[in-house]
Amino acid sequence: MSLANRMALASEKVTALTVEANEFPELSQRYGVQGVPRTVVNRQGAFVGALPEQLFVAAVLELAGVPSDGEVADPQD
Amino acid sequence: MALLNDQIKQQLHDRFAETLKEPVQLTLYTRPGTGRLILPSGMGCATCEDARAIAEELAAVSPDLVSLEVVDVTTSETEVADVPTLALALPGQEARVSWKGLPAGFEFATVVDAIERASSGELGLAPETSEALDRLTEPVEVMVFATPT
Repeated sequence: MSLANRMALASEKVTALTVEANEFPELSQRYGVQGVPRTVVNRQGAFVGALPEQLFVAAVLELAGVPSDGEVADPQD
Repeated sequence: MALLNDQIKQQLHDRFAETLKEPVQLTLYTRPGTGRLILPSGMGCATCEDARAIAEELAAVSPDLVSLEVVDVTTSETEVADVPTLALALPGQEARVSWKGLPAGFEFATVVDAIERASSGELGLAPETSEALDRLTEPVEVMVFATPT
């Protein structure tokens, strides 16, 4: 959770929002929350669990459609 | 009634005295006068009073560097609809870190952590993370669902 905040503080491209799942059941239901922490990226893809920094960042970027380091974006995608 | 006891306030005071460098702006979006009654969705706010108390007590620990604005969503022009929502920003900047719901338990620790990191600029991220963030060309929202415990 702190990682999302730190990413947002580091990059103007990132916003971090922490949602107290019990207080917002409609949001939780909409994003399929069955366990926490559940991280939802751009209100689309998601993953569950607390990941170490490298894996967390990689997961967020992958779900955001950002090519991994060294990978060239396919313009057909 | 104070939500943070004197021991926690003293610990926060000592930490903030050591870690805070630049001003930080907290904004609490709330809906007044709804108390602790749990009403049908959208009508009440069972945690707004406690969220306001926590935010006020937190800001009072370091009033020179942590400022708090309380926004009533029923009378203000704001895009924020869910209450309570606490947002953190550096002065003059757009808030990019926020919490929906009562920032208690583990989430309180993340608020303290975010205040310290925003104020000090010490984000503690690996160089690889900074390089990865530099590759972002479009906005990315990271929404984390959590519970207080």
